[in-house]
Amino acid sequence: MGALSDLRTLALFAYWDLLRMRRRTMFVAMRVVWFALQVTLFALALSAMVRFRGYVSQGLDYYHFYLLGVYASILFSISTSNAYEVAEEFEEGIIEYHLSLPVKRRILTLGRAIGGGLAGFIFTLPMFGIVLALIGGATPWAVAASLAAALAFSIGVVGLVLSIVLSVKSGDATDVLFGVLDAMIVRLSTIFYPAVVLSKVAPYYYAAVSNPVSHFVDLLRTFFFFEEYRVLAVSDPAIMASYLLGFVAGLVSAAVYVVERKLEGGGWR
Amino acid sequence: MKDFIKACFLVAYRDLRRFWKFKHWLAAQLAMNLADVVIFALVLNNMVNRDYIPDYVKFMSTGVLAIATFASAFSIGREVGGEMRREVHHYLLSLPAPRAALAAGRFIGGALRGLVYQLAFIVLNLLVVGVPGPVQALAIAYTSLLFSLSMSALAIAVVSSTRDFNLQSTFRALIYYTLFFFSNVFYPKELISLRFPGPLAAVVTHAPISRAAEVYRWGFGYYQSLDPMALPEVTLWAIILLAVAALLYTRNLSRQ
Repeated sequence: MGALSDLRTLALFAYWDLLRMRRRTMFVAMRVVWFALQVTLFALALSAMVRFRGYVSQGLDYYHFYLLGVYASILFSISTSNAYEVAEEFEEGIIEYHLSLPVKRRILTLGRAIGGGLAGFIFTLPMFGIVLALIGGATPWAVAASLAAALAFSIGVVGLVLSIVLSVKSGDATDVLFGVLDAMIVRLSTIFYPAVVLSKVAPYYYAAVSNPVSHFVDLLRTFFFFEEYRVLAVSDPAIMASYLLGFVAGLVSAAVYVVERKLEGGGWR
Repeated sequence: MKDFIKACFLVAYRDLRRFWKFKHWLAAQLAMNLADVVIFALVLNNMVNRDYIPDYVKFMSTGVLAIATFASAFSIGREVGGEMRREVHHYLLSLPAPRAALAAGRFIGGALRGLVYQLAFIVLNLLVVGVPGPVQALAIAYTSLLFSLSMSALAIAVVSSTRDFNLQSTFRALIYYTLFFFSNVFYPKELISLRFPGPLAAVVTHAPISRAAEVYRWGFGYYQSLDPMALPEVTLWAIILLAVAALLYTRNLSRQ
């Protein structure tokens, strides 16, 4: 009975987050414009400009490589935008209201992480469809596996967002932190360039191979183009999948810890 | 005339001071612009075709200077949009200053934001690309001034055209992304001409950001020569955008 009631509460929180998607429609519309320009003008120009040298296989199609990168970056960006929503909720007193509800905080956090992750995932589904069309289709297995990875990744990013925003408790700090994080994490990953190219600059390489975004995007690439990207990926597909699951479990657990132990006491700055 | 200049200066000074209110936006913007040079360009330099771009770090440093100036000058649009929504413009209209001075002050205020913000990237270019000669330095200063004035004016005119927040954001984003991507900041114009249809290549070549980036590339010594039409086009863009923006902003201010 307790477990059923917890599940129902979790579903309600996830649903509540999904309902709030409407508030972010304009933000997402702008991201769609950004995405459209990225996959047409920017990606085509970049792929014409790029020439892989000896250490990367000659048959590698940079346009396809980058398309999945753009998708990963937009999913990361839209999931991260939850930070501004949570910051706003703090200012509006919604977080305090949630804390006052007769529900377990663990369930509250899990529900928010799943709901936020689902919202980001749903927002990017049309873009995933466009990428799929541009790379010329894929096997149902590759599509299902990449969608599952995308949903897991989005939930993990929302876990990260909840952990940080609810720890720093400051709108200004949230603005700076997520602006910088967005700029750094995307560029220090394998979204734009394979890990082997990054190895020319050692600190960047180590940052990229420990970056969950790199594991996620390279996992997608191996799902779609196993032979071409297997040797270029940051790691073995099984390790990348494990890393992704560890990232989700770790960050959502961190968010649960913050909400259960650190959230109360001290107001929003 | 003296009163006009004084009013203009006061409005511009107010806008410049309010720029520091957005220090968090500035920090994030700075991180993004710097990351484009010290991470993105540095790594991509190992992958680009040297026939098109001999040194991508230098190419991007000068391009990012144009983007940084554009983004910071354009940022005034967000504030003017907020004023229109909250009807603060009625207060501005009640000030004992001619409307032309108010509009000019706003444009100059936005331009000053662009010029102040670009200083960090001027230093970066001096370190990474090269030191300009006197003629080149003058061309850089002239371009920066006109370019930031025109981008500030464009942002103000666009957001003042509606009081709906969503529409303001959409217009701003559309123009921002279009100018950002349809430029030669990330890729050289030769590549655009080879890869894209003629009209698109022409749009990219003659876009204001492309022209500013071209002057910067020549000014800091990345390019050996400058297209003779680059500086006249920077001037032409400024004249057109300032004239249209002045008309639109003063009309939109008094529209009920």
